[in-house]
Amino acid sequence: MWLWFNKLTTSKVFYQFAGRLLPWLGALTIILLAYGLYGGLVLAPPDYQQGDAFRIIYVHVPCALLSMMIYVFMAVAAAVGLIFRIKLADMLVTASAPLGASFTLLALVTGSLWGKPMWGAWWVWDARLTSELILLFLYLGVIALRSAIPDREQAAKACAILLIVGVINIPIIHYSVYWWNTLHQGATLKLFGSSLIAPSMLHPLLAMIAAFIFYFAVVLLLRTRCEILKRERKSRWVLELKN
Amino acid sequence: MDLYRLFITTLRLEALLIYRHYSQVLNPLLFYAMTISLFPLGLSPQPQLLHAVAPGVLWIVALLSILLSLHPLFEGDFADGTLEQLLLSPQPLSIIILAKLLAHWLLSVFPLILLALLFAPLLHLPLAAMGTLFASLLLGTPVLLLIGAIGKALTLGIRNSSLLVMLLVLPFYIPVLILGAGSVALAGTGLAVTGELAWLGAMLVLALPLAPLAIAAALRVGIN
Amino acid sequence: MNHIHKQRAILIALIISCVAIAAGLALYALQQNINLFYSPSQIAAGQAPPAHEFRLGGLVQMHSVHHDNNSLRVTFGVTDNKNSVLVQYNGVLPDLFREGQSVVADGRLDSHNVFIADQVLAKHDERYMPAAVKTFLKQAKS
Repeated sequence: MWLWFNKLTTSKVFYQFAGRLLPWLGALTIILLAYGLYGGLVLAPPDYQQGDAFRIIYVHVPCALLSMMIYVFMAVAAAVGLIFRIKLADMLVTASAPLGASFTLLALVTGSLWGKPMWGAWWVWDARLTSELILLFLYLGVIALRSAIPDREQAAKACAILLIVGVINIPIIHYSVYWWNTLHQGATLKLFGSSLIAPSMLHPLLAMIAAFIFYFAVVLLLRTRCEILKRERKSRWVLELKN
Repeated sequence: MDLYRLFITTLRLEALLIYRHYSQVLNPLLFYAMTISLFPLGLSPQPQLLHAVAPGVLWIVALLSILLSLHPLFEGDFADGTLEQLLLSPQPLSIIILAKLLAHWLLSVFPLILLALLFAPLLHLPLAAMGTLFASLLLGTPVLLLIGAIGKALTLGIRNSSLLVMLLVLPFYIPVLILGAGSVALAGTGLAVTGELAWLGAMLVLALPLAPLAIAAALRVGIN
Repeated sequence: MNHIHKQRAILIALIISCVAIAAGLALYALQQNINLFYSPSQIAAGQAPPAHEFRLGGLVQMHSVHHDNNSLRVTFGVTDNKNSVLVQYNGVLPDLFREGQSVVADGRLDSHNVFIADQVLAKHDERYMPAAVKTFLKQAKS
């Protein structure tokens, strides 16, 4: 297992492995996205309070979930990279940062679009919204730090430390709605126990969440492959690939 | 107690160094005084308005001054090679860092707190809130300094890094600001503030041991 | 070596005790219950700050919403099923504003203990249900 893991983290093997995985992941993403969109926008009935406006959860919830998941993923990858000195970890982190920032921004924008008609305000400074905004700043900070340090290895380590320190924000975002009784509602989906959403609305939502996760995986692998090629452009196997 | 002696020696040495370059310390203080006086002039000298914004203004400008005062931190040690010696020494680095930061706080941040108390009446902060302003700054500013030092350590050796430090550190300052300014505003309305101050205290006690570990790791990265 | 081990043990003990103190302070702070909303009962008990902005949270009282015919002015009661407060608001109410739904209002109390709101926000709960199911549930209840 350890040997297999070690082998996979070498650039060349990972490049080929990712290449073989990509079509499958891409197909899964498209299928799930198609079902989720059709189910969410057409099949699911309007909500008893919000009417059709509730349908924004099919974009908002997956985005918000991914914004936090990607950060945790980056922090774990960076920590693993820091401890075991794996170069691939840094490439994954580099490739994830802009994606995480985009999902965070999308979560904020879609939430704001929903908030205006429902709450009556585009933006309120409650704990959930503020901590999500801080998350966006954290992503931008990581990107800024990376681009400021010319030495790649040093940049990777510095970003890893920043990412690990920033992890404190993740539980704050998640539990803000319970600790501070915010305007933002609590979690609808529950890992344990029954969800507070009708099944006809739930299934497309789960499909959308899965679709977003697979989409992230696809784009992450594509970007990582690019990064590998860029960093190893002088190595023999890349040159052979070109010919 | 070896650790204690190490702490005291570093503290005295660092305090002496800061004292010798006292103009560096004075600049953030001047910045504080000048920026605070911009608010009555820029917004309006109306007591009602100033009274409402005073807690936030006093806190935000204190936070910015601390950000500006971070610049000399570790910079001299990095330039003359002392930092490398410290990293190589068998003494625990986090204790050394903690002593340096305490010296920095005593000599350059604590005067800032006094300055804030001096300027509070000019912004019509109610007298009832003065005690809370002092207590919240006393608990909050060390947290700001500890977090800021992580940012400073991460960007050591990068040219023109002062703006980058702010970008890295400001998101982490937001919770401290919310609690600090919030407690002062609450005190102005005559409500209990023990909850907010306890949160600030918890942050401080948590940052005291953990931030030096992160700073030490960041310094090692910077030196390689 | 022994010396360094001892030093390390002291440092770790210090870190652990600091974390323990922080946890204790946080627990204490949570008990203090930092108020983001004041409920009508708290206002009735005189806990809300007089002549200062604060947030009021509660349910819109049934059959209490009264629209002014000539302007956007609305008055309604906010209740927590024990006490209630009369709220006056001048502006457009959000879509989710219904009788029996949660609302949050920013504003201040006037001298007659009427809450003058600057902003009224509707708080949505985490339940999503098709409209048909809701009417079915209602019928089952009655």
